[in-house]
Amino acid sequence: MNEAAATIGRDLGRIFQALAGLLFVSLLVPLVWGEYWAMPALLVSGLVPFVIGYAMTTRFQGAAQPSKLHGMIIAATGWFCVALFGSLPFLFIAWTLEVGLPIIETPSQTATLAAFTDPLNAVFESMSGFTGTGLTMTDNEEVLPRTLQWWRSFIEWVGGVGVIVLTTAILARPGSGSLTLYESEARSERIHPSIVSTVQTIWWIFLLFTFVSILLLWVVGMPIWGAINHGMTGLATGGFSITDNSIATYDSVAIDFALLPIMLLGSIAFPVHYLILQGDLRNLYTDLQTRWVFIYMSAGTLALTALVYVTETYDTLFTAFRYSSFQFVSAATCAGFQTAVDTTNVALGRWPAQAQLTVAFGMIVGGAAGSTAGGIKLIRSITLLKGIRFRIADVFYPETAVRRLKINGRRLDEREVRQEFEEAAIIGFLWFVFLAVGTFVLLVILPQGEYSLENVIFEVASAQGNVGLSAGITGPESLPTLGKVMFLFNMWIGRLEIIPVLVTLRTVLDRGGLYQ
Amino acid sequence: MKIGDLPYVGDPLEEGAEDRVFDSLLLLGPVIVVLIAVLGRSALTTAIAVAYLSSFVGYVLYRGVFEGA
Repeated sequence: MNEAAATIGRDLGRIFQALAGLLFVSLLVPLVWGEYWAMPALLVSGLVPFVIGYAMTTRFQGAAQPSKLHGMIIAATGWFCVALFGSLPFLFIAWTLEVGLPIIETPSQTATLAAFTDPLNAVFESMSGFTGTGLTMTDNEEVLPRTLQWWRSFIEWVGGVGVIVLTTAILARPGSGSLTLYESEARSERIHPSIVSTVQTIWWIFLLFTFVSILLLWVVGMPIWGAINHGMTGLATGGFSITDNSIATYDSVAIDFALLPIMLLGSIAFPVHYLILQGDLRNLYTDLQTRWVFIYMSAGTLALTALVYVTETYDTLFTAFRYSSFQFVSAATCAGFQTAVDTTNVALGRWPAQAQLTVAFGMIVGGAAGSTAGGIKLIRSITLLKGIRFRIADVFYPETAVRRLKINGRRLDEREVRQEFEEAAIIGFLWFVFLAVGTFVLLVILPQGEYSLENVIFEVASAQGNVGLSAGITGPESLPTLGKVMFLFNMWIGRLEIIPVLVTLRTVLDRGGLYQ
Repeated sequence: MKIGDLPYVGDPLEEGAEDRVFDSLLLLGPVIVVLIAVLGRSALTTAIAVAYLSSFVGYVLYRGVFEGA
């Protein structure tokens, strides 16, 4: 075994142990709710990653610290394996009800849970949860056991901040290559000079905001179990729900509007939250991304309200505003909660094409980098726009002119502009390439005439932006197997911002670095 | 026993805004959620939850207005 494999193996082992910890903690839920029959499945689901993780960390204990290449491979394979192991509770609990237990009495199987006896559906649900996407293989979340309702919310909550951030916060110690891993998980922001302190502060903020979110939802009328689950998935901008029609089930204006600030909190970068908690409220408008979160959400909401009101999708201006504000913020923060459904108003998939594409635009751009939101990210979109303007304006200046580009208070020279613009352009370009590939695959495999082009673009953008809004395509029966595999890939690359996955695939394909 | 002495979660909980009010709110959060789960919705639990939220929002604004840079 060479040095690279040892490093990767050791760090993957740590991630698996952290995942096992999440599963063991979750044993409290079936205990509290009296779902004792789910405990063996959950226990085995935790033991598998724990034993494998323990063996790997012990075997490769003295391995070297990860390089940038290793960090990317660890992030990509780590997230993929976490999705695989995270699917075990779905699979084992579904099979527990399918075949029964010898001593403990089990409830009867439901069609919803039976979908998870198919390993692909279980992995899809797990990947959707950890990446904070929220697309689901269940057709009625209400009938799921509380244990699985919790597990879905919990993995979205952890995934929102990051599996590696969790591992670093709990298991890593200063100087253990944490920075490399941290940056490979699509994060670069620092709150403190030490990366371990930074991730611990991120968790501190996230925990505090979680309790605030839960209590806010409960105060406006949501039952406590719903408030706990939706508070967690709303703040993590994940979007899994415990009800059949997502937030539309409650059909409450107060709940709709209470969720807006929760989702917005999730789409603002953690360092900004830290500064605001320190009393520096100016960051709400001096920080470029945060300022644009508010501008872009407001502009999108107004545009969407106008579109659905003018096209008479809704009768009153207030109703149009209520559903448009919720759906645009839900899309742009990448939460993916849905209030526009046919049972209470008009389903998103039946909104006018221009309205659906406006929501899709929100999903593609996403929230702030350094938050829990997905998409291309606001800072990259702003860098691309400013970079294009900078390049075009360049023609009007003499060749000898020394120019600087100002982004978020930083004055970038030519070399820095090139570097940042290139990075944003590469990710932006790849994002649209994979959006096009996913759209093409879905158009080929879906039944002809059943879904429109805007439905398909909407669904792929939702998967890749880790949003979770659905035009009705995703489901255990409605989405063909190839579509599920495609969406697994879209969700995976969307969460890690594409590059680490491509680096890993290249490494696997030509064995570069691993076996040299 | 200090919060930092707790196994695994001690270190993350010791970080944060380094402020006693926020630390207290963080520690009170799960207690209130459990209280609500046990007692259900009543005037008392609603008042406690509203007081918690008001304290959080009020203290953020207080720090921003009176102690902010």
